[in-house]
Amino acid sequence: MSIVVANSSSAPAAVQRVVHRRHWGAWIFGVVVLLGVAALVKAAIAARIVDLGIVGQYIFSRQIVTGAINSLALGTVALLIAVAVGLVTALMRVSGNPILVAFAAAYVYLFRGTPMLIQLIFWFNAFPTMFKRLHVEVWGTVLVSVPMTQLITPYGAALLGLSLAEGAYMSEIIRGGILAVDAGQRDAARSLGMSTARLMRRIVIPQASRIIVPATGNQYIMLLKSTSLASAIGYLELLRISTDIYASNFRVVELLTVAAFWYLVMTAFATAIQTGLEQRFPHR
Amino acid sequence: MSVSDGPAIRIERVTKRRGALTVLADVSLEVPRGQVVALLGPSGAGKSTLLRCINHLDTIDSGKIFVDGDLIGYREHGDVLHELPDDHISRQRQRVGMVFQNFNLFRHLTAIDNVMAGPLHVRGMARPAAEALARTLLKQVGLEEKAAAFPNQLSGGQQQRVAIARALAMSPGVMLLDEPTSALDPELTQEVVATIRSLAGQGLTLVIATHEMAIVRDFADRVLFMVQGELVEDASPEEFFRVPRHERARQFVARHA
Repeated sequence: MSIVVANSSSAPAAVQRVVHRRHWGAWIFGVVVLLGVAALVKAAIAARIVDLGIVGQYIFSRQIVTGAINSLALGTVALLIAVAVGLVTALMRVSGNPILVAFAAAYVYLFRGTPMLIQLIFWFNAFPTMFKRLHVEVWGTVLVSVPMTQLITPYGAALLGLSLAEGAYMSEIIRGGILAVDAGQRDAARSLGMSTARLMRRIVIPQASRIIVPATGNQYIMLLKSTSLASAIGYLELLRISTDIYASNFRVVELLTVAAFWYLVMTAFATAIQTGLEQRFPHR
Repeated sequence: MSVSDGPAIRIERVTKRRGALTVLADVSLEVPRGQVVALLGPSGAGKSTLLRCINHLDTIDSGKIFVDGDLIGYREHGDVLHELPDDHISRQRQRVGMVFQNFNLFRHLTAIDNVMAGPLHVRGMARPAAEALARTLLKQVGLEEKAAAFPNQLSGGQQQRVAIARALAMSPGVMLLDEPTSALDPELTQEVVATIRSLAGQGLTLVIATHEMAIVRDFADRVLFMVQGELVEDASPEEFFRVPRHERARQFVARHA
């Protein structure tokens, strides 16, 4: 065994430079992808698939912007209701009471297991024929008595349908969040003398909320796009307005482009909210 | 409500089963006020379970546990024990502090908010008063300057000291420490042991499940040794190290001597 001590009399050894491996295969494939995209764009321009003048004419028109706002409002209110419904049913599901557990599980199965479109059509077309009047009476005093068709407008049916369908997804997301909070957190809260209700409110739900933000942001984006289903029951949201316009001027591609643009704007908005929430309430 | 002359903790013939396994086998014990008890024994002997039962975090199958003369978790009706409602048990737990092996600090709260949680949300103390109390306690465990830090920004030893301050904030008469240093490396163990030693000097009743010899030798008044759910040894530390009676206790002493 020899020990070499570098000193001023011996020339210092050259320090070798490190060259990392290049991933040539991926770069070659990248160039192929780029050429493919260029060919597609060239073909699209040559075929004049979209008249940008028409797109520009409609993209900020009053009708279209109103439709976009209606979609955003419908999706946002539906999400807020869905979070409330999801929270209540998730708490039922983790309560341990067999009746509450069964009720919550049946709700989730039913509303997550059937297509949203069917649910919307059900609330708009079938429900008012099943129950013709909403009549609430307490000890002989009539509180509410209105025909169901007055309550179930296209907006009402869309909001009801989307909220309840989305609530089933949110229920599972929130339940997952609650279960992800370490049992030790509950032990610690209990040992301080917190009741179950208080420890849920102060400890478990604040931590679960941070866990579910990314998944909820994802659901918000899905829901904003699912508002387009309300076009089937005549609610004047973004897609319905766009299709109504192209039904008269036959500019199908241009109007679908306009609609797609606004859905992308809504998605960017939802993503920004999600990012903001994640920064404000980081998961620790 | 305070029964100042009785024992701090009285355990009468407590048995707990988990399936076919008997976790606590007919355990009886009295801990006088102000005593520091080291609870030793191999893993799985039932040390943690015994501590958790004293706080009713785990339920028992038979027997009775009293803290300050109060039957914990149950109401006696003839020869049947009925489990108390949630809020009543919560009130009983306020008098017993608990410190956990994995600290269990509330991860979404800063150190000071962790210490304030009990006074604020359980006692209903006003925020300024709770904050002042929390600052005093953080100072006591030497972590004044870490008040605004979140648990994931603290070392294990610091987290455990905050957890001790959090338990102290409810001014409990009894503290149960469940392997408070087992998740810490030797250096961090020192600081937590020092904090626990300072508690022992304050007249608190402490029951400490531990493997840490410094606790047992330096300031425990009494050593209990558990094996398979049974209390097999109950002695002063000197006596325990000099003449351990049970086979497992002898092995334990031989290993740590």
